[in-house]
Amino acid sequence: MADYYTINMPPAARELSRKASIVGVGESDYAADYKAQRARQPGYEAPTVESLTTRAFERALADSGLRREDIDGLTCSFTYGGPPPQEMAQMLGLAPRYCESNGNIMAGPLPVVCAAIAEGKADCVAMIYGVASRSNGRVFGGTGPGSLQGGPSSYYYYHPWGWSSQAAHWALMAQHYMAKYGVREEDLGAVAQQVRRHAARNPNAVMQKPFTIEEYLASRYIVRPLHLLDICLVNDGAVCLIVRRADMARDMAHVPVDVAGWGESKVTHNKLYFMVRQQLGPQIVQAGRQAFAMAGVSQAEIGHFEGYDASSFHLINQIEGLGFVPHGEGIAFCQSGGMELDGRLPTNTEGGNLSCSYMHGWSQVAESVRQLRGEAGERQVAGLSYAMTCLAQTDQAHPLIFARGDAA
Amino acid sequence: MSEKRADRTLGPGHDTFWKFCAEGELRIPKCSECSGLTWPVEPVCEHCGSDALSWQRMSGKGKVFSWCQFHQDYYRGAPPVPYDCILVELPEGVAFISNPKGFAFEDITPGMAVKLAFIDCEDSAGPFRLPVFERA
Repeated sequence: MADYYTINMPPAARELSRKASIVGVGESDYAADYKAQRARQPGYEAPTVESLTTRAFERALADSGLRREDIDGLTCSFTYGGPPPQEMAQMLGLAPRYCESNGNIMAGPLPVVCAAIAEGKADCVAMIYGVASRSNGRVFGGTGPGSLQGGPSSYYYYHPWGWSSQAAHWALMAQHYMAKYGVREEDLGAVAQQVRRHAARNPNAVMQKPFTIEEYLASRYIVRPLHLLDICLVNDGAVCLIVRRADMARDMAHVPVDVAGWGESKVTHNKLYFMVRQQLGPQIVQAGRQAFAMAGVSQAEIGHFEGYDASSFHLINQIEGLGFVPHGEGIAFCQSGGMELDGRLPTNTEGGNLSCSYMHGWSQVAESVRQLRGEAGERQVAGLSYAMTCLAQTDQAHPLIFARGDAA
Repeated sequence: MSEKRADRTLGPGHDTFWKFCAEGELRIPKCSECSGLTWPVEPVCEHCGSDALSWQRMSGKGKVFSWCQFHQDYYRGAPPVPYDCILVELPEGVAFISNPKGFAFEDITPGMAVKLAFIDCEDSAGPFRLPVFERA
């Protein structure tokens, strides 16, 4: 397992449920930055982790209505490197008593901060995440410059057989599933198509133009059976969440969004077996149970879902694994409108990793907050009390459950 | 003629794996404490953490339980795209990434029986024999 995934999450303890609330959220300009990066007009300056996260932080601070001096904690989650937390605090004009590096990918960093707040290390923490993946030429797969290196349990071991990249994981999972349940490529295409339809309602989504199934089938294969449109974006961006002690978060600019539950389960051996043969099922089930029990809610109470759509197919693994739909029925559920804004489980409403932004799960959390507050504009889901974000990579699942501060 | 491939992982343990391949044997580290097999090669058992590992010879039988075809040219022509990879379940309890020999993506059905074969390859460290699978 590559080290950059590893974070020690606090246990999913009932007494930590709803002890901290998200009171501010800010994101960088995914769509505009992507466009500028592609156009490279004369005088173009590529964004940096520092410039991206500063923008996200200032927006989150303004959104929260708090003053800079109210922030007494800062955590930094820079997947591909960035300044040390103390330096970042100085840049942002903060003097935090709690100031730490905090993993990188969601969900781990959020429970870590909730526990730190419960322990009294801080009352109000700005959590920042940023990556300049596209500007830095990040490559996923192969052996060339910009590719990641990892230990034997990662895909890097399989170079001589030519098996490489995250996409190759999703391809093996999808092919196994498609053969098992008789799913055709055009059926799977409905998932990416649905996520893009949502993105069309999000002005900050990188890809907003809807496509037909014919266009989907005509898009090139990356790793068959998966097409380009089944694979997530690589883009620059940053997200900032401001998390405050729940009892101090009640009379603020927005209704607080409480962190109600989380869970975590990792594959410890036979990774490819659990991933492909079991769709990461045991891990998703176990982590989901922890999160539902901690939050004290059931699947039926979740009105909005954000999954980790590193590939279209992985979204299906998560809604099936968490028990929202029976195994083998996830794609039909999507085709019949189950993931639409007025469907049974509105899913990845901002456009997910596939069409909005690839922020290692942070933009999904930002969307959960906006949806629960009722600020999602044209893509708003009606009448929400609880929302779930599931993060799941190739070898682990770690969901989060959020509650509107005024939900029982 | 040997095929050009991307570099193997070499070093302690890994070298032993490839040495067995050169002799036409697929051997995987087996734990003498919990009997678990650890693949890919690691210094300790992935099931129990013991370092009491010995090299267990695989029967060479297997079943294909998933497969994919690379179009993205991650390895700049080594091998040339499109090429196929298969995930083979060995009866000993290992999921093994490999390549099909003498059959391709379209020919595969779930659970298809395959047997071990070796092909001559070369990477920057020199020639080696790569374990692949053909129809049983």
